[in-house]
Amino acid sequence: MSTHTEHQAQQGREPLDVNTPGLTRFDIVREGARRDDIEIVHYEPQVVAGSKAERRLVRLVAGLFLLTGLLATAFLVIYIWWPWEYAPGRGSDKYFTPLLGVTLGLSLLGVGFGILAWGKKLLPKEVSIQDRHEGAVAEDERTITGQTMVYMADELGVKRRPLLGASLLLGLAPVGAVAAAPLVGGLISDPHKNNQMFTTGFAPAEGGQKIRLIREDGRPVRPSDISAGGQLTVFPGVEHGVSNRHADSPTLLIHLRDSDAQESRKANERVGHGDYMWGNYAAFSKICTHAGCPASLYEQQTNRLLCPCHQSQFLITDNARPVFGPASRRLPQLPIEVDSEGFFVAKSDYTETVGPDFWERP
Amino acid sequence: MKRRKFDLAAVPGNSAVALDDRFQVATPLRRLLNKVFPDHWSFLLGEIALFSFIVLLLTGTFLTFFFEPSMTEVVYDGSYAPLRGTPMSAAYASSLDLSFEVRGGLIMRQMHHWAALLFMAAIVVHMLRVFFTGAFRKPRETNWIIGSLLFWVGFLAGFTGYSLPDDGLSGTGLRIASAIMLSIPVIGSWVTSSIFGGEFPGTIIISRFFIAHVLLIPALLLALISVHLGLVFKQKHTQWPGPGRTNGNVVGERMFPRYAIKQGGFFMVVFGVIALMGGLFQINPIWLFGPYEAWVVSAASQPDWYVMFLDGSTRLMPAWQINIPIGDGYVIPPLFWPTVVLPGILVGLSTLYPFLEARHLKDRKSHNLLQRPRDVPARTAAGAMAVSFYVVLTLSGANDVIADKFQISLNAMTWAGRIGLLIVPPLAYYVTYRLCLGLQQHDREVLAHGVETGIIRRMPDGRFVEVHQPLSAAPHGDGHGELEYTGWVVPKKMNRLGALGPAVRGFFYPIEKPAEAPVSPGHPPVEPRPEREEIGSGESRR
Amino acid sequence: MTSENDRPRGLLARLRGRPAARSRGRRRLGAAVRLLAALALAGGAYTLFAPGAQAQDSAPLSGAAAEGKALFDVSCVTCHGRNAQGVEGRGPSLIGVGAASVEFQVSSGRMPLARQEAQAHRKPPLFTDEQTRQLAQYIQELGGGPVVPEGDNLHEEGNVAAGGELFRINCSQCHAFGGGGGALSSGKFAPSLRPASDRQIYAAMLSGPQNMPVFGDNQLRPDQKADIIAYIQETLKHDQDPGGFNLGRYGPSTEGLAIFLVGIVALVFASLWIAGKS
Repeated sequence: MSTHTEHQAQQGREPLDVNTPGLTRFDIVREGARRDDIEIVHYEPQVVAGSKAERRLVRLVAGLFLLTGLLATAFLVIYIWWPWEYAPGRGSDKYFTPLLGVTLGLSLLGVGFGILAWGKKLLPKEVSIQDRHEGAVAEDERTITGQTMVYMADELGVKRRPLLGASLLLGLAPVGAVAAAPLVGGLISDPHKNNQMFTTGFAPAEGGQKIRLIREDGRPVRPSDISAGGQLTVFPGVEHGVSNRHADSPTLLIHLRDSDAQESRKANERVGHGDYMWGNYAAFSKICTHAGCPASLYEQQTNRLLCPCHQSQFLITDNARPVFGPASRRLPQLPIEVDSEGFFVAKSDYTETVGPDFWERP
Repeated sequence: MKRRKFDLAAVPGNSAVALDDRFQVATPLRRLLNKVFPDHWSFLLGEIALFSFIVLLLTGTFLTFFFEPSMTEVVYDGSYAPLRGTPMSAAYASSLDLSFEVRGGLIMRQMHHWAALLFMAAIVVHMLRVFFTGAFRKPRETNWIIGSLLFWVGFLAGFTGYSLPDDGLSGTGLRIASAIMLSIPVIGSWVTSSIFGGEFPGTIIISRFFIAHVLLIPALLLALISVHLGLVFKQKHTQWPGPGRTNGNVVGERMFPRYAIKQGGFFMVVFGVIALMGGLFQINPIWLFGPYEAWVVSAASQPDWYVMFLDGSTRLMPAWQINIPIGDGYVIPPLFWPTVVLPGILVGLSTLYPFLEARHLKDRKSHNLLQRPRDVPARTAAGAMAVSFYVVLTLSGANDVIADKFQISLNAMTWAGRIGLLIVPPLAYYVTYRLCLGLQQHDREVLAHGVETGIIRRMPDGRFVEVHQPLSAAPHGDGHGELEYTGWVVPKKMNRLGALGPAVRGFFYPIEKPAEAPVSPGHPPVEPRPEREEIGSGESRR
Repeated sequence: MTSENDRPRGLLARLRGRPAARSRGRRRLGAAVRLLAALALAGGAYTLFAPGAQAQDSAPLSGAAAEGKALFDVSCVTCHGRNAQGVEGRGPSLIGVGAASVEFQVSSGRMPLARQEAQAHRKPPLFTDEQTRQLAQYIQELGGGPVVPEGDNLHEEGNVAAGGELFRINCSQCHAFGGGGGALSSGKFAPSLRPASDRQIYAAMLSGPQNMPVFGDNQLRPDQKADIIAYIQETLKHDQDPGGFNLGRYGPSTEGLAIFLVGIVALVFASLWIAGKS
């Protein structure tokens, strides 16, 4: 507390004439600080000049800097000569990045701790006190600035000439809209173009041609391709069907065991999807109705389908009803059959909206 | 013409004069050099964020030289054999090339990612420091708001960056982001379609995220950081209470030389830690995730840690769907609440907190002295509540990894999170509140009765008592002079009082030589040393 | 890490018939104890059924299958019943599961089951390679089913790039991008692929053990299976991570942990050293 009151007393002091002969440099420094309302109350070298302690510290700091140089050189050497190109398996190329990291990191730590040791140990310790001058704003300053601003506003005379203000406002509003229009107008895109939110690649082609279910390599799928208790990711057999252009179309084709298939068929009938399965095969959208991840962790004994993103669980034998987790809507089922050549086709497109939910989903 | 002799030694002086003639910088420069900063380790946490941001700018600029923000399909033909011949987007292919074909590119990418994680982590830790010490109070509310905005802008920077490589993980993240936008009532599908340029994923999102990630968001971050630092400068840093420290002054070190040197050294240390992590710890091995394909996903698909709390809230959300039976019927999906409404509430609460607290306490004064968390139990407890809420959500964001590695049922983890989210925060509030009160009471006890000495004395009547060392001279003669609590650490060990000699120095292990004298800022040694007299700084105290 | 992860070498060695001496000795001891227990159980059953009655309806077994039957009757009969027809509430019928299933379950130590759980865990196997083959032969001759091709290295012809694509479509959703496994519903899980041998992976795909879907030869051709095994063994397991320590390949969750435990902790210590503590 005492230091503070003394400091207050400094306010009224005479400024020191810095040209007075015989002043040390520190006197001038302290005078400068005082002019900025800073009082250096404590300034004490930590090591005696020329002492053993000083020499030890200097050696330490110098050692750190030299270590930095050494490591930085090592970094360069490794960067230039170490084998770095990827080769399969284990080998020296796998140590390229770690070695760069170690040399770069340690050299930076070296220079960092060198500087820190210099500042922390070799420079004098100091305690200075600076005034905050908060709330010291003179009241009349505020008055003057305030009056000036009000005066300037008055000079514009918007109050006396209301037409000016109103017309300016009316004139500027469209200008602002002009600035926003290209951005909004350019970005805006109709989500319901081509009914894209409600159709997938399985929508029958123009001639009513049913779409085949194909595999990731483009081959159509036969019933015998999946063993009982197996599952296969299938795509619409259209151009770019196996690509992100049809991100809503990936479907999981599941070959259920006899008893599960029976249960599943019963469940289908309950919701009027009696003919959606073909034999013991059922196809469900792979796109989770919650957030759109591929819900594809199929447990063949419990017939649960788990989504790895938010752990929604769907019971396949009950129309893929969500039984756990945040999903609130069952996975849409694709009605399938086998065509005359023995390949799976979609009888029609999905009859429910595929993918995550949104406001206007009917 | 006679050639004047060129005096090399006079060059700095002369150029300084020449500069000052033109720009009149002498006074402002001296003010800058002389500015006093308080010294405390917790004041360096924000610097970690600042320095990692600088590393982010440096490494990020390097990455832009090689990254191609395009979703054009290419067939990979680089040196990473397990992906050769795979069709993928140009963005993913260039990210692979960046890692495998560019010499030293992988460490740059890894440093960039680690620096991003460190940036967000340091922001959070710094924010907690500011919150628990009450540094956000008037006049610093603006800086608190800017700070919390920095978290959310950093969050966006992180998410856009996470999405750019277009690998399996980032595509999954994008898909979820699109689903979140879709879930907004009324405008959801329009927002999604406008941002993705059509149906997900479209062909433009990577380019849009790229320009946001390398130009718009960094510019905003830079602007906010500049204002943040400018305000710290203008309003001067807060300080802990202590001897000589008042609400009206700053006690510490002048900016030059010591403070600035420490900052420079610390920058190098932060940079060095990031470089070490970038080299030694593999982060986001995009080559293992493969290109993003809408039908491919990996178990344990998670966002980076600072987004994980949203992932957690989404996982814990029950499947409550709201159907609005008007016309064809409208839907508010359960995804909307934990991913749009919850962050909205969090932004609102965190930015408004300083005003809410001031209003509640009817406190209109300016505060430049920090508070010890124990002295404001209600705020500390509320903070603990918020932290535990966040931690439960974040852990739930990784609940499948926890379930798998610790062999707990996944469904049990989800339920534990749901129940924990309701129970843990109030519990944390209560426990923290009681802890604060207990610590306060102990402080007051020491002030009233003194420090435990460990000396047991047997009284004439046979009782044993422990001798307490009072902290002040006894005014009443009974050894019990009560001191007033000043909001600062109360010494609780004998060597803190100087009774057992000075505390042994050394950070990890004691240095053989004991300290010359106990030194604390603003508390000059009792006996001035002779060399201090020589420098001539001694009298100023008297 | 679970114990199964530290033993891949030992396991592989056993399958190739190069046993580690110590563990085999210990295993024999355990086997003997379990054998005695099973004998006591089975003995009761034997007295009830006339020994002659069962011999007549069985088709003649090959030598190996007969050995396998002997092993089956002491170790497996309790749960899977006589002639592997299953016991209600204890174990399923093994008719038609094929040698692949037996080989997977027995060589990975999952069978015989230690206790009823959500899912069987990998353990050190109870039977030797030879005994496993005998058991497999017995089940194969009882009811047929899928068989793993001969040889220990089934991925010689495999293409890692093709295998990687197949792995990401068919496997990574459960076993995770790095093959470390992942959680399924209600305590079930997809195990780590790190300790699995070529034959075990092949057998698992063929037979669909527990909740894993079946990937028959029509769905994934033998050469595609070889591709997948090549990707798992060569790329996921053998390929060293180029970016340093891989933090267990758990994805962003361990990365988040690392930034706090390493980055923030190191820098807070540094700032404690740099600046004042009061």
